[in-house]
Amino acid sequence: MSEHPASGRRYRSLIRLRTAAPRLFATLLAFLLAAVWIGPLALTVITSIKPNKEFLNGPFALPHAPTLEPYRNVWSGLHFGDLLQNSLLYATTGSALAVALALVPAFTLSRFEPPGKRYIFALLLMGLMLPQQTVLIPLYDMLRWLHLLDTRIGLIIVHGVYGMPSQILILRGFMTTIPREIEKAARIEGATDFQVFVKVILPLSIPGIVVGYTLNFIAIWKEFVFALVFLNSEANFPVTVGMLKLNSDRYISAFNLPSAGLVLSQIPIAILFIFAYRRISGGNFVGSVKG
Amino acid sequence: MATARGDKNLSLLAFARQHLFVTLFGILIPIALFACFIGYPIGYTIYLSLFEWNGMAPTKTFVGLANYSYMLGDNYFYISLVNNLKWLIVSLGFPVVLGFLIAYAMRARVVYFPTLLRTAIFFPVTMSLVAVGLMFLLILNPIFGAFDTILRALGLGFLVREWFGDFRIAIYTLAFVGGWAFTGLPMIFYFAGLGDVPKETFDAARIEGAGHLRMMLRVALPQLRPVTAVVVMLTLFESLKAFDLIAVMTKGAPFGRTNVLGYLVYLESFWNSRFGYGATISVAILLLSIAIASLLLGKLFRGAFDV
Repeated sequence: MSEHPASGRRYRSLIRLRTAAPRLFATLLAFLLAAVWIGPLALTVITSIKPNKEFLNGPFALPHAPTLEPYRNVWSGLHFGDLLQNSLLYATTGSALAVALALVPAFTLSRFEPPGKRYIFALLLMGLMLPQQTVLIPLYDMLRWLHLLDTRIGLIIVHGVYGMPSQILILRGFMTTIPREIEKAARIEGATDFQVFVKVILPLSIPGIVVGYTLNFIAIWKEFVFALVFLNSEANFPVTVGMLKLNSDRYISAFNLPSAGLVLSQIPIAILFIFAYRRISGGNFVGSVKG
Repeated sequence: MATARGDKNLSLLAFARQHLFVTLFGILIPIALFACFIGYPIGYTIYLSLFEWNGMAPTKTFVGLANYSYMLGDNYFYISLVNNLKWLIVSLGFPVVLGFLIAYAMRARVVYFPTLLRTAIFFPVTMSLVAVGLMFLLILNPIFGAFDTILRALGLGFLVREWFGDFRIAIYTLAFVGGWAFTGLPMIFYFAGLGDVPKETFDAARIEGAGHLRMMLRVALPQLRPVTAVVVMLTLFESLKAFDLIAVMTKGAPFGRTNVLGYLVYLESFWNSRFGYGATISVAILLLSIAIASLLLGKLFRGAFDV
């Protein structure tokens, strides 16, 4: 009799083990997987604070005498301050332009049925999918003709216009979730489209705008091809183009310099990531792409 | 008073008269911008593909379809085209499948600490591919790299290869590095998509005794068709756009064996000053993307993009 509850408990814990075992195994697998993603980043950070002479101790040796010397060298050698400033400028203004251009079209596509709406969507999708390389030459020519080649403003305009299609889809997706009843009151009082847009839709769209702006910011921060082709002077380079120098004999010899450069180039976006992660990874922008 | 739903069958003019602000700023101006910055460049690329031009000379020489016939005989073009396909296959296999599996594992609560995994895998999506490329150049370095060191330590030294030097392997190395940086995106899309699938659907399948494999294949994937359509499209164009990693890691070496079409356009135009031929390859990329896109939109994923 006294054995019964005990064996019952044992039985139960056995069951729990049976259900937990696969989950533990899967978690182990997941940790390994996470290591594949975290490992390279962690290694880069560790390498970046190693002094030159510890380089030969192997990639996994922890630094004995950690130093910020590599950061100092890369910062002055590549003019990292200027690079970061340029990237920041392109990302902030380019995304602002993209969002500004996209707001009214998004409002239009979420609230109205203009004739040929399907074709407008087809056009948008095309703008999204167009491989950048196919328009490089004409855009290069066009910017030269406008005397905007190798200027900051030229690159900002290109970023703004090419960010517009995805912004329209993201903002439209968000605006369609705003219930129509909210604007009905305004309509009944005789508000025009413009008034409805400014007084009702725009204030309610701010969370969507934040998401769209953040995604565009990241996209421009990462962007490489346009900046590489449309800019010539180092003074205008964003981080992505300026960083290419790290892949040269002068910098790559001991790994700590390029690693420090890598970390520097990711710090702003990592900060943004910490703040915006919940918003952008929640998947609320996904629905908007589904159309 | 015009409500949005009432004017579905208006003519263009009537719509414009009723909704002047919307027509002007919501339709005409964006279309004009599209025409200037996307439509015109495409047209100009097609036009330029019929010429020989060094990018500087005031005159372009009309050569008809000569660039096209040259392209069809150009070995580098085929190498690049095949490389694009290899890249696509790796991308569809590694990041997309893995992204789906991880998303499923997290939604089905198969793993503990799902947020850790999700954050770790999503972070590289925010990294520039220049940074990713540089990082893996160090990690895959044949002498001092961490990857080979790990392989040797695990007794797998026989697997060590010249990851960038061996022309048979280099393009796959690049594609896998690209996949590493890309996995977070399909994962997030599937994660969001699975969140929209009604819980009852899974519960019903579980009661019928479906295991995880059956649940994934029979329940999750059919429900996620629209998400898959978007993911496949994204992957497709991501692999057609593959450029940054190649520019950073190999520059097409060894012997142009890691060129992809996008990089070939850049090389021919801005390094070899053959803008006409560069435009011709651009047209090929464009045709390829249109062909694949219409195939996907029209057949495989009918209804997925309905608006």
